Amino acid sequence: MGRQYLAILGKDLLVEFRTREILLTMALFSMLLVIIFAFAFLSDPTKAKDYGPGIIWVTVLFSATIGQNRLFDRERENGCLWGLLLSSVDAGTIFLAKATAQFIFTLLMELPTILLIILFFDLPLVQPMEFIASLLLGTVALSLVGTLFSAMLMNARMKEVLLPLVTYPLLVPVVIAGVKVTSVAVGAPVNEDAWMWLKFLLGFDMIFAVATWFLFGRMIRA
Amino acid sequence: MKSTSLHIILASLAAVVVCVALYLVFFVAPTEATLGIVQKIFYFHVASAMNMSLAFGVCAIAGAVYLLAKSNKWRKRADALGVATAEAGVMLGAMVMVTGPLWAKVAWGTYWTWEPRLTLSLMVFLLFVAYLALRAYAGSDAFGRSIAAGLAILGLPGLYFIRVAVERWGGAHPQVIYKGGLSHPAMRQAFFASIAAMLLVSASLVVLRFLIERRRQTLDELFLEADKIFG
Repeated sequence: MGRQYLAILGKDLLVEFRTREILLTMALFSMLLVIIFAFAFLSDPTKAKDYGPGIIWVTVLFSATIGQNRLFDRERENGCLWGLLLSSVDAGTIFLAKATAQFIFTLLMELPTILLIILFFDLPLVQPMEFIASLLLGTVALSLVGTLFSAMLMNARMKEVLLPLVTYPLLVPVVIAGVKVTSVAVGAPVNEDAWMWLKFLLGFDMIFAVATWFLFGRMIRA
Repeated sequence: MKSTSLHIILASLAAVVVCVALYLVFFVAPTEATLGIVQKIFYFHVASAMNMSLAFGVCAIAGAVYLLAKSNKWRKRADALGVATAEAGVMLGAMVMVTGPLWAKVAWGTYWTWEPRLTLSLMVFLLFVAYLALRAYAGSDAFGRSIAAGLAILGLPGLYFIRVAVERWGGAHPQVIYKGGLSHPAMRQAFFASIAAMLLVSASLVVLRFLIERRRQTLDELFLEADKIFG
């Protein structure tokens, strides 16, 4: 299982680093979003701490969706996914490998985007460890839910619209928890327990990892 | 057909209980002192919210049966039940979303607050809408159905997390208490009657929709067979 997992993941990373389709579109889109947000909100720089965390998470969520829409494009062409499913590889392994690839792509997109937000909005990261932890845990959640439904909607006519329609309600808790931790991390005057929200995110990740992994095999067979 | 008569019994029972509930709500239960006549929305609002949660629970169970059952017969039944409960759920959710703000404007002075229960109802409603959208637009039949079933199943842990998150999210605000509890026994009577009425109305709608969906499935099968013979 480990070898098959690494083979699928390696294939995805190699193809992506050669073509850079998903990464470039995600990163460019997220930077444009940041600029739009700057024009829309940056009237009073002293209040940046209040809306900065929200801007970070909205940008991450929207840009991740752009990547998720493309994630299974290569599997769709020439029926590659059916080939994978017909091979002896377990469906759960395929899911975990694709979710890991999506996780890495999203993380690579987040890096420049968040630096840009911190620069543009002048956000002081007083508790960087908590912020990084929330970003990692939140990205795991986005990747799990996104990969599951992106695979299922691969052939749907209106997948670009359906994917956020389905995933965003499920991801609401992640956005709430992420914004809370980030508010604490940038030193906004809020009375929140960052560790409680991080534990909440960890719980979300664990339950959804098992649930999505299990459901992928069941749903793809239909 | 046996199931058709079940529907007729449910529908006629619903008609009677709705009349009784309306009578109890408007003629027997006293008008609330501070809120006045508006308080009577409460009977319909809470009843439809409770039934919406119930519909979502049944929909999730139907989704689980659809994805896990081996026999084709049970899968088709579960699928029909899933779409029936989801459509009833969207209707109930729309009622919750219309009556809620009307009540809130009088009780809390604003149409919408991000109170945990309100937020949770909104999210259940949105999940139901996504479920129906998936069934309608997610492409070929079996595929759209299984995605929708998966969403209904994931909705259960999802709603648990949404609930925990919105409760803690609103942490800084004072917990809103329903003004005018059901102190009067006649109020309590009317309340339970309206829950029963709403449950019967939803149940008869679900059964009716279930039967329609089953007929549609049978029609599909017949089409395939006819295709084999004549095609």
